[in-house]
Amino acid sequence: MNLEFTRAEQDFRAYVRGWLAEHVPARLPSMDTAGGFAAHRDWERRLAGARLSVVSWPHCYGGRAASLIEWLIFEEEYWAAGAPARLGQNGIFLLAPALFAHGTTAQQDRFLPRMACGDDIWAQAWSEPEAGSDLASVRARAERVDGGWRLHGQKTWSSRASYADWAFGLFRSDPAATRHHGLTYFLFPLDQVDVRPIAQLDGRHGFAELFLDGVFVPDDQVLGAPGEGWRIAMATTSSERGLTLRSPGRFMATADRLVRLARTLDPDPVLADEIARAWLDAEAYRLHTYHAVAAGADLGPAASMGKVFWSELDVRMHTLALRLLGERGLLDAAAPDAPDSGAWLHGYLFSLAGPIYAGTNEIQRTIIAERVLGLPR
Amino acid sequence: MDFAFTDDQLVLGSTVRQVLAEHCPARAVREAGRTGERLPGWPQLARIGMFGMLVAERHDGLGLRLADTILAFEEAGRAALPGPVVETAVIAPGLLPDDLQDRLVKGSLRVSVRLGDQVYAPDADLADLLIVEHDGAIHVLSSDEVRLTPQPGVDPVRRLFSVAAKASRGDSSRGDGVRSRAQAVPVLRAATVAVAAQLIGLARHLLEASVAHAKTRTQFGAPIGSFQAVKHQLADVAIAIDFAAPHVYAAAVAISDGQGETDNLRAAKAAGEADILRAVSAAKAAAGEAAALAARAALQVHGAIGYTEELDLRLWLARVWSLTSAYGDTALHRARLRAAILGDPELRRHP
Repeated sequence: MNLEFTRAEQDFRAYVRGWLAEHVPARLPSMDTAGGFAAHRDWERRLAGARLSVVSWPHCYGGRAASLIEWLIFEEEYWAAGAPARLGQNGIFLLAPALFAHGTTAQQDRFLPRMACGDDIWAQAWSEPEAGSDLASVRARAERVDGGWRLHGQKTWSSRASYADWAFGLFRSDPAATRHHGLTYFLFPLDQVDVRPIAQLDGRHGFAELFLDGVFVPDDQVLGAPGEGWRIAMATTSSERGLTLRSPGRFMATADRLVRLARTLDPDPVLADEIARAWLDAEAYRLHTYHAVAAGADLGPAASMGKVFWSELDVRMHTLALRLLGERGLLDAAAPDAPDSGAWLHGYLFSLAGPIYAGTNEIQRTIIAERVLGLPR
Repeated sequence: MDFAFTDDQLVLGSTVRQVLAEHCPARAVREAGRTGERLPGWPQLARIGMFGMLVAERHDGLGLRLADTILAFEEAGRAALPGPVVETAVIAPGLLPDDLQDRLVKGSLRVSVRLGDQVYAPDADLADLLIVEHDGAIHVLSSDEVRLTPQPGVDPVRRLFSVAAKASRGDSSRGDGVRSRAQAVPVLRAATVAVAAQLIGLARHLLEASVAHAKTRTQFGAPIGSFQAVKHQLADVAIAIDFAAPHVYAAAVAISDGQGETDNLRAAKAAGEADILRAVSAAKAAAGEAAALAARAALQVHGAIGYTEELDLRLWLARVWSLTSAYGDTALHRARLRAAILGDPELRRHP
């Protein structure tokens, strides 16, 4: 057991740090506006040009075959450098693991390279008005037709869908089946879908409703076998809850910013105590992740512990920043007095979504209790 | 980077666990709190080398580093092992003179301490030797050179004593036993981390006991563990333990990196003084809080039966309370962390 980076790991970190120092742009407009989306797509292309958009993927799809530890190092450096949020995240971190595990070679060749360089930005299409935490109650359906399927129904809370190119999600392909049976995993372009952006708590349009009225999807855009959708989706959602959605680097960067902010404002001991604690909790998430990665265990349901931990830590850190800043902290980017151009406020509003998305924290606690601790259903 | 336990480290932990399951079951812990055998499991632990783990190889010890042994202390905590285990296995090898080290290895010497911020010596009535700080120097005293005053408290097993030197003793009966306070500092840090590991072990036991109870106790026609309010409490305990333990392991590694090795490469990689201080306090504070949460939830989940003398649970609760306040309570370590994190403009993460 050690906490020493190998020479190769240190070299990788130095390379990433150097590249980011040279290339990270000044703050981009929100990715949930047309202009911001384009600017973020351009950034994804620049990352890809340096083979840094998908470091853990194989070389043939634009990656560097980086180890998990190297991927964690990349993430630490990425967020510490203040680099832009990842527009390609849904595809890269949520769909790609499923494509690697269940896609055909043809599907991998078709979708992964375009995903890696930002040519295709993917939205998720999981939730429905009546299927939120209870994902297995999906109603949107797939009707078998010659050469493929026609998709019908409504999806909602579809992140990035307002401007994205493609979406992935579950549809009920066997009308006689219930719950997690008879579901199929589809990949479909959004240009034939009626996309209605939803204004969020933060005023932006980060997610949207999707209305599908007989959208045709050929057979080669089914991921895995028809009827196997639930199993494949669960592999994806455990990525979502676990490491890949929110690596420690993001929270380490926020914790470091919070401590720097606190030093300039001389907080009272009560606030100082909570800030020090938050910094250490980010550290705990990092150490926990190093430990889990080294032990090589598949996180499985234990990923839910991380999801609860980081999402609540994120809310806590942003709440502390706003408490430090007082009334100024509630000013947004349009206000001349807004500290850090309203970044803490925006981060706070975004953090509030964390305990809700990717399975609410109540669902996560139930998963921990039943599937990690073995308590009865 | 390989922050996972090696096979050797895992084997040591599981060996200690097996020995204690056999020779230090709950009823033995209970007896130790009454008039029965006060040191259950100790002869068997001595046989597997528990008390010579951190003794140098030149004294026939195992010469291990704290990180190699941290799971052994976690298991000692899980079993609520009675007796001055950290004092004997961690502090004594660092502070006793060379000619006493072989007795540590054999397990024929038990040691209590009153050092640093400690007010009382734990388990001092079971000790052959006491290591006591007085007027800036550290003295090694035999049990017949001191007068112990019992200070009974919440933990019937880990008993506390005031220590006074008997007037008749010389300046120090063992001149070669005098150490400076500075020598005790790294040893006390290692002890603090070992106690943090015990707290993790205690917390793991409390969670397991709570889960077991929640599965079998039935109310309203269903096991109480099927109720969401109970599930979510125990899930929170699991999360707290899962994210406290890495702090403890990292602190053990940080301390170990500075142990024994002197070559330049090693020194360059090793944690700095500030990293070690922060890691030790983080370990103790996080483990103490996780254990306190586990104890609180365990009592709540057990309900009225948990609030009895009859159930073994109270022995684990008491040990959590006593070890949480040992070697710096949570508030003291949180204060140190505040200063270390907000007051250090050079703050960086290790590694």
